[in-house]
Amino acid sequence: MNPQPWWSQLGDACFGLIPRVPYARPDRSDCQGIAVVAQGLSAAARTDGPTAFTDAAFSIPCGCRTALIGPNGSGKSTLLRVLAGLLPATSGTVQVLGAKPQLGRGRVAYLAQRPRLTDPFPLTLRRLVQMGTYAHHGWFEECHHGDEAVDRALHLLQLTDLADRTVHTLSGGQLQRALLARATVQGAELLLLDEPYAALDQASRDIVEGFLFAPNANLTIVMATHDPADSQRFDRILELRHGALRTVHACAGHPHRHA
Amino acid sequence: MLEFFLEPLREPFFQRALLAVFLSGLTCACLGAYVVLRRMAFLSTALTHSILPGVVGAILLGLSPYVGALAAALLTAGGIAWLSARRGTSEDSAIGVMLSVMFAAGIALMSAAQAWRDFTGLLFGSVVSVGATDLLIIGLTSAGILFTLRVLHKELELASFDEEYAELIGARPAWLRAVLLILVALGAVACVRLVGALLTTALFVIPSATGVLLGRTLPQVMGWGIACALFGGISGLYLSYHFAGVPSGAGIVLCCALPYLLARLRAPRR
Repeated sequence: MNPQPWWSQLGDACFGLIPRVPYARPDRSDCQGIAVVAQGLSAAARTDGPTAFTDAAFSIPCGCRTALIGPNGSGKSTLLRVLAGLLPATSGTVQVLGAKPQLGRGRVAYLAQRPRLTDPFPLTLRRLVQMGTYAHHGWFEECHHGDEAVDRALHLLQLTDLADRTVHTLSGGQLQRALLARATVQGAELLLLDEPYAALDQASRDIVEGFLFAPNANLTIVMATHDPADSQRFDRILELRHGALRTVHACAGHPHRHA
Repeated sequence: MLEFFLEPLREPFFQRALLAVFLSGLTCACLGAYVVLRRMAFLSTALTHSILPGVVGAILLGLSPYVGALAAALLTAGGIAWLSARRGTSEDSAIGVMLSVMFAAGIALMSAAQAWRDFTGLLFGSVVSVGATDLLIIGLTSAGILFTLRVLHKELELASFDEEYAELIGARPAWLRAVLLILVALGAVACVRLVGALLTTALFVIPSATGVLLGRTLPQVMGWGIACALFGGISGLYLSYHFAGVPSGAGIVLCCALPYLLARLRAPRR
């Protein structure tokens, strides 16, 4: 290995002067097989705006792949943002992996419909995927490791050849796959995906579907989608319409069957 | 020819100015990468221009100009955050309001003090005025800024690129933004001796804009920015030494623009 240049050593020495502080308190909640459970949940897309849905009750077992369907403006994105901890619920209770939704939980990953990324930004795809490891680091700490997990995620989403490209040279579909790879590196158990297929061509979509619906992946997925053809692949479908939520189709043979 | 370069080096004031340019160029280029990438150029202009009333006020009160400058810059940053916290005033217009109000206050104070000549160094920078105390303050500020940028590098990079993800993992992008504003205020205070209140923004923006054209990663952007700032800073000092009419601030900014133009000419089209 090459010795590091002096300025790099000087930079790393800075970290020795400050103790590491985690981003959030460690998440020791126990979900006991239920990924999400909600009672009487209401939420609004903006704090001063109209309510998107009211009195929603549903539960999603761990390992269940759930589709969230409904017309535009029915509150799919709002529900996902509430589960991610980005939006407060206006009333009702909801538990995500055994705890109230909040920020700073590495076990939950959320992918927005249109991620608001700074463009252009001098960042390679590999570095973007590596950001997934930050959730398990803290303040005042540089991450030099996590390379194996990054390589594995790049391989899984077929991005290995693009690893050294800068992000603003990627297509929308490639960027979407990179963000999914970041969620993988984060090691999230629950993926909240807001219309992840919107920017994808068929080839990219096949890659993403292959990843999300891999039989051995130990993932719980809640995915907002418009495509009725998808319905067959999901274990459970939640439909939002006119401000109300109903469970259309529960996981077959699962003990937490919802009426 | 050689004498052209060696002669100024024998002057103690020029040596001090050279050291000051080195320190502030390094600091401004690293900090400026975030200013440029996050599109905070206008905000940094407001912070640097607001130094004027702070320094004038501090001199009138008999305080250290650095204290006044820092207080004014922090007041501006706080004012912008307060004005734009309610809907109806965009951050852009809040910056415009604070910038013009603070600058007007500075002009009013200067003219009340009836001492325009004393303040030209403040407005346009002056190499001669860099003393040992200034060097100490510039050195300490630079060390503090560079240290903060290093230990918060991954968070600042993440929050600048993808604010929502930073929020999701608990890395508090709002705090990071405040930290960045304070650092820009500190950096502006450190540079004001060399380039003056009117031109300090240039040290944040021009080298980093060059860096963004040439670098593929954030450290590369900072590296090219440092190279550009040091080239511009050192040649600007020589320019203002040999042509007495050119203030150091103007010389430095003009010499920084040269590498930017070269980089811009060979940059690919969007």
